[in-house]
Amino acid sequence: MTFFVDRLTSFFHGKPRLTPAELQAAFRGHYKEFRALLTANNNALELMAEMEQALGPGHPFGMTFVRGNCTALSVNIYKMIQHLTRLADGRYAELDQPFRAITKQLEQVIASRSVSTEGTTILAMNEVDASTVDQVGEKMANLGEVRNRVGLRTPDGFVITASAARKFIEANDLQVEINRRLKGLDLDNLEALYTVSAGIQSLISTAPLPAELEEAILAHHRQLETGSETELLVALRSSALGEDSSNVSFAGQYRTQLNVSREFVGQAYKEIVAGKYKSQAIVYRQQRGFRHQDVQMCVGCLHMVDGAVSGVMYSRAPDDPRSPFVIIQAAPGLASTVVDGSAASEQFRVSRTAPHAILHRQAATAQSQSLTEAQAAELGAIGVRLEEHFGTPQDVEWSIDQAGLLYILQSRPLGRPASVEPQEPDEHSTTADSLPSPLLRGGVCASRGVGSGPVFTVRSSLDLLRFPKGAVLVIETPYPDWASLLNRAVAVVSETGQMAAHLATVAREFGIPAIFGMNQALATLKNGSLVTVDATAGKVYAGRVEPLLALAAPKPNLMAGSPVYKILTEALVHITPLNLTDPTSPFFRPEACQTLHDLTRFCHEKAVVEMFTFGERYGFNDKAAKQLVVENSPAQWWVIDLDDGFTPDFNPESRYVHLGHITSVPMQAIWQGMMAFPWGGPPPVSLGGLGSIIFQSTRNPSLDPAVRSAMAAKNYFLISKNFCNLSVRLGYHFALVEANLGEFLTENYVSFQFKGGAADQNRRLLRIRLISEILSEFGFRVEQKVDAMTARIEKKPGPYLLERLRVLGYLLIHTRQIDMVMADEGMAASYQQKIMADLHTLMDTPTEG
Amino acid sequence: MTQPLKVLLIDDEIDFVETTGKRLIRRGYLAKTALTCAAGLEIITSGWPEVVVLDVMLPDRDGMDCLREIKEKWPTLPVIMLTGHASMETGLHGLECGASDYCLKPIDLETLVEKIAIAHRESRPRGA
Repeated sequence: MTFFVDRLTSFFHGKPRLTPAELQAAFRGHYKEFRALLTANNNALELMAEMEQALGPGHPFGMTFVRGNCTALSVNIYKMIQHLTRLADGRYAELDQPFRAITKQLEQVIASRSVSTEGTTILAMNEVDASTVDQVGEKMANLGEVRNRVGLRTPDGFVITASAARKFIEANDLQVEINRRLKGLDLDNLEALYTVSAGIQSLISTAPLPAELEEAILAHHRQLETGSETELLVALRSSALGEDSSNVSFAGQYRTQLNVSREFVGQAYKEIVAGKYKSQAIVYRQQRGFRHQDVQMCVGCLHMVDGAVSGVMYSRAPDDPRSPFVIIQAAPGLASTVVDGSAASEQFRVSRTAPHAILHRQAATAQSQSLTEAQAAELGAIGVRLEEHFGTPQDVEWSIDQAGLLYILQSRPLGRPASVEPQEPDEHSTTADSLPSPLLRGGVCASRGVGSGPVFTVRSSLDLLRFPKGAVLVIETPYPDWASLLNRAVAVVSETGQMAAHLATVAREFGIPAIFGMNQALATLKNGSLVTVDATAGKVYAGRVEPLLALAAPKPNLMAGSPVYKILTEALVHITPLNLTDPTSPFFRPEACQTLHDLTRFCHEKAVVEMFTFGERYGFNDKAAKQLVVENSPAQWWVIDLDDGFTPDFNPESRYVHLGHITSVPMQAIWQGMMAFPWGGPPPVSLGGLGSIIFQSTRNPSLDPAVRSAMAAKNYFLISKNFCNLSVRLGYHFALVEANLGEFLTENYVSFQFKGGAADQNRRLLRIRLISEILSEFGFRVEQKVDAMTARIEKKPGPYLLERLRVLGYLLIHTRQIDMVMADEGMAASYQQKIMADLHTLMDTPTEG
Repeated sequence: MTQPLKVLLIDDEIDFVETTGKRLIRRGYLAKTALTCAAGLEIITSGWPEVVVLDVMLPDRDGMDCLREIKEKWPTLPVIMLTGHASMETGLHGLECGASDYCLKPIDLETLVEKIAIAHRESRPRGA
């Protein structure tokens, strides 16, 4: 079908008449486009996978992630279309239409929330949540979450947004002057630094507010005042935008102004905006590489709470992320007195579990207890709730007013303890004395948490395949290769290695507890024995230690249901669904592309066809495909050299090619895998199996070779030195293996598509599941849609990919008959064992070339 | 022996261009930096760079405008756009104006180095 269309097109375009040298040059030009298209495809598929994974647990992300990935994705797909159009001598330009349509929809999704607030100078607290962070800054966005999503009481008020600050600076044309003063500033010259800092701050705080902004602030202030009997006093709180929010040490550097009356609101606002240029802030930004104009001061203007008792609360002890209690500091009056340490405060430890009893109370002086049992319990419950909502321990500022109403003034991530060393046995911990003595202690905590399961020692890639789900991975060295086991392991113990090891990063990402540098791990931990790994404390216990497992930190699941999460989900509707699955379908057309994934699929398929039919279009096709000379092969194989896939001494006039002439590294690896074990012919087939095949063949027209495209009718290798695209039709299976092993990781990948096959649906599904499981174990990302599957690995080093290509080669030859014998799951399991045994042997085969 | 690749970084973030420049040199590249479009154009006019990394926002001129001028006068010189503020619109617009790639800050050096090398390779009449 596609062939026919291509022929028609080339007929209308007229077949170009070129000299052999021109032909060669044209071909290489096309190949260059092809390769660039593949790289863009590689990038695009990786970005899509990353976005899908973000919806899973433990991946907090913001709009920057969504916007950044959508941008990178559309850029790569735009490139694919450009390369395809050039590859096809101008055809497929109509892809631009669906591309524009999809990206336009995507832009609308991304902008859906921010458009409404973009340019808004003021947002009421009722409108503020995590999705407005780009307008209100981190601190106020968090407070908005507490108010509008957790549903706790926070002071009424509004936020003067980043847009407002920008307008204020622009209206007075201050940025140029500010940058001029900062230029060449020597950060070590403290005197100069203070002078410049003070000068800039006064420049800002003496500049007039734009009339429009001033009116808007006062209007919102009036609204806030409505219903209030006494004069309204507000607190103005800075909420910086654009700085690394994870750096808690910097929090509190900016100003907060309390008890501000109406006439001073404007001035207080300007002073907080000016606070952006405090000397510490200037130094901090310059050292970290932030541009000053990219950081904006958003300012919360909140009803002052007339505090009877106020304070701070940590949802966990700052030095112990798994403490079973909440810490509350309380003092009479306003919360600021506790924060700045000016009032003698009282400390409570309140249980994290209901009914949140006070476990411990400590007062500096002989004062009367400032919190009732009920108030302490209410606070304790709130601390736990906020930690659950934000997914990480919280540092909360609170105040109880004269009427006894509890207000949350601020909630932010609790700073991590400075020490990342494994904690020494904590005698204060309520659980410490109830624990058995550990089998092992020491090492470094590579990833926090507790996990329990049977020990499984992995010494080589052979063990990798046998690793059972739910086991504790015990290794000598944390090789990056073991990363593929982490989605099956419950904990990792390694004799060597440290926190910075790649495997440690992956373990943290997956939330798998890991201890590295644990001496004697291999000798002490016996295969199959049940252990509990407490990575946070650096200990391994025999058996299951329930009290420890109960303490394991909750998995953060903050994002689900949040506005940003929703935006990503909506964006993905235009990105990942794949509608163009069958290249032979009449709907495999540019105008049928509904998602970015469809576009990548279409471009890739057509690019391969273009490379394949180049010879035909330019008139040297009959010589392009060489038949591979092989013995004892169940099929015929054809090879097309795209660039440098044959040795220079190969005679281009020859109709045959020997393996020895093939320089393509990926092709050689696939071939090794295919030929490593002799193909024994189909296994004995039960009558039901055979009958099923015949039945399917007679009624499924897509299995009729005459209906398939010409390209799929034979087995073709399209190769260059670093590239191989193999389309296979063996028996009733259609498979496509494609790999590139270039000089850059960005270009490296192996992909595998598999579809069809005789036998009934049930057997085909069993087979696909078998292949999926095997490929997942080898680190492939597998997607399965009914009886079709795709598997990919990107951006891995060459040797790693060659190993995978050998596995694919093996599977291509040896699974073709499997479905015939897959009468039940038991058969599938025994086949899997046989295949694994073969693959173990194959893994030990050294790579050629 | 291949000659070290000459890379020009045009970006007004002094810290960024300086560290990136130094790290590129440590990787065996030759790097020059320019803080404005005008300074960048001057270096390009001298015929020095083989690859340009260009910030989308510059103090003296809109980066896209700067890109347009570069691609008009030196159509084969590969330019990689770099920005701290992702926008699908500017991203696509940059490619339409002839940029080789469009990347987002922060970018790790490893990735940037590969992008530079690939952009350079694709810009040559015949791929290596």
